Amino acid sequence: MDDYTIGVLSNIGVVSFVALSAYLLLLTGEISFGQQAFFAIGAYAAGIATALWGWPLALALAWGALSGGGAAVLVGIPTLRLHGLYFSIATLAFAEMVRILFELFRYQVEIDGELTGPSGAEGFRNIRYIFDHNIDAVQFLLLIYALLAAALLGFVLLERSRTGVAFRMIGEDATLAGLQGISVARHKVLAAGIAGALAGVGGGLYAHLTTYVEPRIFDVMLGVHSLAYGLIGGLGTAFGPLLGVLIDIGLLESIRALAGYRMIIFGGIVALLLIVRPRGLLDERTMHGIGNLWRRTLLRLRRPGPGPGPGPGPGPGP
Amino acid sequence: MIDLVQNTIDGLMIGSSYGLLALGFTLIFGVMRRLNLSYGPSIMIGGYFGTVLYLQFGAGPLVVAVAVVVGAALAGLYVERLCFAPMKAGAAIASMVSSFAVWMQLEQAAILVLPRHTYAFPPLATGAPLEFGPFAVRIDHLVMLGCALGLAAAVQLLLYRTRFGLALRAIIGNPVAAHLVGVDVRTVMPLAFAGASAIGGVAGFLVLAVDQQVTPMFGMWATLKGLIAMMIGGLGSVPGAVLGGLLLGVIEVQSQWYFGPQIRDLAAYFVLFAVLALRPRGLVGSLSEASTQKA
Amino acid sequence: MRPATRRTVAVLFAVAAACVAGGAEAQVRAKADLRCEQASEVLLYDCTVGLVDSRTNEPLTGLAVTIGADMPSMAGAHSVRPVVAAEGPAKGTYRFRLALEMHGDWALLINLSGATRDRVVKVLRFEDGRVGEAPPPRR
Repeated sequence: MDDYTIGVLSNIGVVSFVALSAYLLLLTGEISFGQQAFFAIGAYAAGIATALWGWPLALALAWGALSGGGAAVLVGIPTLRLHGLYFSIATLAFAEMVRILFELFRYQVEIDGELTGPSGAEGFRNIRYIFDHNIDAVQFLLLIYALLAAALLGFVLLERSRTGVAFRMIGEDATLAGLQGISVARHKVLAAGIAGALAGVGGGLYAHLTTYVEPRIFDVMLGVHSLAYGLIGGLGTAFGPLLGVLIDIGLLESIRALAGYRMIIFGGIVALLLIVRPRGLLDERTMHGIGNLWRRTLLRLRRPGPGPGPGPGPGPGP
Repeated sequence: MIDLVQNTIDGLMIGSSYGLLALGFTLIFGVMRRLNLSYGPSIMIGGYFGTVLYLQFGAGPLVVAVAVVVGAALAGLYVERLCFAPMKAGAAIASMVSSFAVWMQLEQAAILVLPRHTYAFPPLATGAPLEFGPFAVRIDHLVMLGCALGLAAAVQLLLYRTRFGLALRAIIGNPVAAHLVGVDVRTVMPLAFAGASAIGGVAGFLVLAVDQQVTPMFGMWATLKGLIAMMIGGLGSVPGAVLGGLLLGVIEVQSQWYFGPQIRDLAAYFVLFAVLALRPRGLVGSLSEASTQKA
Repeated sequence: MRPATRRTVAVLFAVAAACVAGGAEAQVRAKADLRCEQASEVLLYDCTVGLVDSRTNEPLTGLAVTIGADMPSMAGAHSVRPVVAAEGPAKGTYRFRLALEMHGDWALLINLSGATRDRVVKVLRFEDGRVGEAPPPRR
């Protein structure tokens, strides 16, 4: 793999964390324009931890996740009773406040004879952990994807758990879910916290990947993009947002020949796609179909001999 | 004290353009119940349309104004046809994300036509500011305020005094019921959408003429300012949109004067967040209770 | 999160920590001085970067230098294929040509490998016929 491919793959992996973060909230029926705030908080927290406090990377990433998750819970409580556009705009307002506060945030320490640390709008340079510790690009790529795999595994387990079912029920109809005895408030804050932590890990990885961050990276554009990834890739599975990121960053890279017209073509494709598939490529129905097919194949493999006959045989219960 | 009053005057003037932006936004949201993220970028396209006429043919302010409004309305119509009309009933989020995709399209289209970062835009009025005792008012600001109040009054009249307005209000209240009682939803919706984008176009022209420059970033700026003013005032309300805009303008100018430019935006977002957390319906409330139920 | 999930995450963190521990200590840090000007075509820029050791101010020669570019306002979305810089006549200078996608602020990631491994980030504003410092963003 050349450096460029590694770089693009690393970007895809890191951005996937924000996309998953927005996706988790979409499951509970809320559209957040503000997940980039927790990405930013994670990036700054983890960057400060390694560059200024000399922490090891693993601890710094955990600290980034904790900061992101903590901030998300704190902002989740006052916005709890907001729905729809009200919630979306409140998250937007919060994220923009965070971005502006980082423009004002100065915390510099002299390291190796150079002032290091966040310096307002100029950003935070020299998050040099991977250079100081001789971690090459491939190793860091593996770290990103190991953590992403862990997050995806978490999602797979979540979707099978009571909590996951509760999330989707709240997403369908919060009142009905409440009547069924689900604590809507607790689950919403929980979802917000996990989503914030996910974004925080992504931010921590991003800061160490690029070695520098600045506040305007974390503007509304990033937030709306991460929301769009879930919608493009599909809301039926956690692989949906990943597919969305892959399509956006990966496909855009491959149609580089069309340089000046790229966004015109890509924007058009997305708009048309959403007309045909308003809940994305891998939507709930598709995933259900794939699940059934998979189960049927398993069943057929387990019962060798004469096949179950033509037509869809009676599948096992859902 | 003089500063405080002068800032308030300036804030009201600037805020009137936010009010206009919010007015167009709130109409689209009222009719569609969906968020059109491409609202600002449509206006930006109008702005580029006007700038091309100005730079290439030396068009005067009036021609440029018409071009901006027509350009914004046409771009708005394109957004409606692609992101809103073909969407199924439950696909509000898909519409919103689709309008975001089209935003990317519009921005790139603008960059293709005029690739530099900033272009000149014709000024509206270059005369000396009017003086009232210790206070001064820019003429172009005064035009802005006049246009905003006039247009808001016209929209209010249109909504409550005409058949078209009745049809609009019926759709805002309940689109299915409106269709059942014979409102031609399919024609009224795109018309309302284009009209709302045109109102945004007026706001866009006024702001660009005061700034005397246009950049591709104007789209994002207009969407954000319109959104904030609309939400502060109360979703789906004409007086709310104007009031929210004026308030936003005053908050911005005052906080910039006393605390600097970064605090200006911080204060605006803080007020927005506080209003949403404490009084989600906005300061004025909304045109229809139903429109606040689902976003 | 279920216990199983938590355990998985914990294990992965441990693995990650193990990967990452045992690295070498701090090395030479590079300082870069970057100048760009527009080449014959629009969006094409010729740049020269001077690299020195930040502590001793000794020029850093004989390195493999590649330059990537990214727009801070659209992180990850507009990255330009990295270009390889050639060592220039003056000691510690490297020259490269950059083809950007649009005007605006770009963060150039100057990657050094060879005797010194490092990355220096410079943010510049590229405009038609002009390259300068990137002032704090306005609309």
